[in-house]
Amino acid sequence: MELQEKITILSGAARYDASCASSGCSNDTPRGGMGNTSQGGICHSWADDGRCISLLKILLSNDCRYDCAYCVNRSSNPVPRASFTAREVVDLTMEFYRRNYIEGLFLSSAVNVSPDHTMEAMVQVAEILRNEERFGGYIHLKVIPGSSPELVRRAGLAADRISVNIELPSSESLKRLAPQKSKEAILAPMKLIGAESGMSLVERRKSRKAPRFAPAGQSTQMIIGASPETDLQILRLSQGLYSRMNLKRVYYSAFVPVNEDNRLPVLAAPPLLREHRLYQADWLLRFYGFSAEEILSDDAPNLDESFDPKTAWALRNPGFFPVEVNRADYATLLRVPGIGVTSARRIIAARRFAPISPEGMKKIGVVMKRARYFITCSGRPFERVDQQPARLRQRLLLGDGSEPKLPRQLVLPGLG
Amino acid sequence: MNNYLYDGTPEGLVSAIASILDSGENPEETHLAVRQDTLFEEGLFLRTDSALAEALFERLRQRAPDAVYTLWYFMMAEADGLETSLLRYIALAFEHGDRVNGYLTHADVKGIVGTARKAGRELHRMKGLLRFEQLRDGTWLARMEPDCNVIQPLARHFSRRLRAQEWFIYDARRRSAAHWNGSDLSFGTLEQFSRPELSPEEQAVQQLWQTFFKTIAIPERKNPRLQKSNMPAKYWKYLTEKQGE
Ligand code: SF4
Repeated sequence: MELQEKITILSGAARYDASCASSGCSNDTPRGGMGNTSQGGICHSWADDGRCISLLKILLSNDCRYDCAYCVNRSSNPVPRASFTAREVVDLTMEFYRRNYIEGLFLSSAVNVSPDHTMEAMVQVAEILRNEERFGGYIHLKVIPGSSPELVRRAGLAADRISVNIELPSSESLKRLAPQKSKEAILAPMKLIGAESGMSLVERRKSRKAPRFAPAGQSTQMIIGASPETDLQILRLSQGLYSRMNLKRVYYSAFVPVNEDNRLPVLAAPPLLREHRLYQADWLLRFYGFSAEEILSDDAPNLDESFDPKTAWALRNPGFFPVEVNRADYATLLRVPGIGVTSARRIIAARRFAPISPEGMKKIGVVMKRARYFITCSGRPFERVDQQPARLRQRLLLGDGSEPKLPRQLVLPGLG
Repeated sequence: MNNYLYDGTPEGLVSAIASILDSGENPEETHLAVRQDTLFEEGLFLRTDSALAEALFERLRQRAPDAVYTLWYFMMAEADGLETSLLRYIALAFEHGDRVNGYLTHADVKGIVGTARKAGRELHRMKGLLRFEQLRDGTWLARMEPDCNVIQPLARHFSRRLRAQEWFIYDARRRSAAHWNGSDLSFGTLEQFSRPELSPEEQAVQQLWQTFFKTIAIPERKNPRLQKSNMPAKYWKYLTEKQGE
């Protein structure tokens, strides 16, 4: 098969995977070698759907022996199949990297022959890149559930990031929709990665020569809306993954029905808005000091469709407001709708010089359409804050206080 | 208002600012602009003095190292008409140190920091969007026409990243070029430029990349507006994946 045709099949099959961020780690160029990674992450292009391209995102093979209900590549589907050799992926990565098309490689795969067989080939790609090509760019490998600990270890030593898809938010759903994968097969490598990278950090503090294990950390991905879990269950799961498994990122992908299957729900459209809200709530968990239980409760276990989770929280907690922008500390400022991490930092930096005026708030980049209902500037309110909650909701909705409902990206079921 | 003029060079600008600050003039009541040599122009012309400019840089580096970075990026932007703002910004930097960059509620600080950020953003963008092509003799060439004069830091970035290959970067707007020979970086200008012939493999690799670029987009989610806002059309001229569209 021609390389052109393989690329078409195997990048087409990989395009639905969201977890492609290449940021969060910096490598130096190896001696006599090629490439480094940079801390902030670099986008090299933007595809026709507007998403950033930073990695050669591709499957090693889409020829799967498993039959997960939600996946295009399941064995019972009549789709064209293709597989790369390790060499082909290595050459593509190097040729693209030399021309500055990419930051590196994001390699995933369907389960071809057996988990270990596939994983072995993926690890080989990474090892050839590092050892023979002296490649210093970014490598992200997706671990095949059920592969042996030895292979996971080798993957972690060669790659910047390795990840295992958790696929579905509960083990019952996993049993029903992906019967050939088990909770244990997914959690075991996750735990191993967590332990190994923790150990490598400790060792590297003692000696710079100690090997690095997946220095950019671990991420995972789950499908939203193919199974009945609530947003609260999902956020609790993410919260646990962040605190106990030390994950860097959880990605959510709205379920898109690609197969007819009576185990799957019938949806008019993929739940893109829900996916978007989950990303926003996840952001609150990671950067804004919120807990899952503050964002949702057993009485209201799903995210509000009309408001972003922070505004929804503010509407439920009128007693917290108004916040005085010239006095409030960073954590308090972060809780105000319309004030983000950057503008909270800027407020604190600017008010050292002079109290911030309403015009100053705009200069700094605060979204006043939303913030105005929740703040005072040197004691002066913008709007009466103590209005009826129902009326405030209304004004936020009508007065452009709500954000556009456009979800930022569409993500489809993951592979591997 | 006290009016001052300078010769329009970056060095002249810094040296003019140095002499105004040394004179004890109040920057908030001072205006600085490029000399146009028109009949009605008013203001005292300040001659460029490199030693004075150097000394100002050195003092600023001691007092506010981040502000020196801002100044450096600001110069890359080649912005017109912000001389007075820069004067006031530097005066504030001497007064407050690096905290000055947080004083975004001050119009002049916001103007300078905003312009510097614009150059920083374009530099970051070009790190991703620059495309190298392999030439017949095995060396590599990348062409670009950025708004800001970013060739120096950009070349330094690639001297770390693509250090095992010999390459040239050419800024067609300014006719300037950078060359990496595998161990040293040099800069120069070119009077005449025409792209040399490409290597025989180049076309095939470019096609593979074009194929990847097309298939990686989710067809049901075509969004040319989002694509353009992230990657403005002015950069497409040299993008391999946008050729022949
Ligand atoms: S999700 Fe992975 S294992 Fe399941 S069918 Fe698809 S490619 Fe195969």
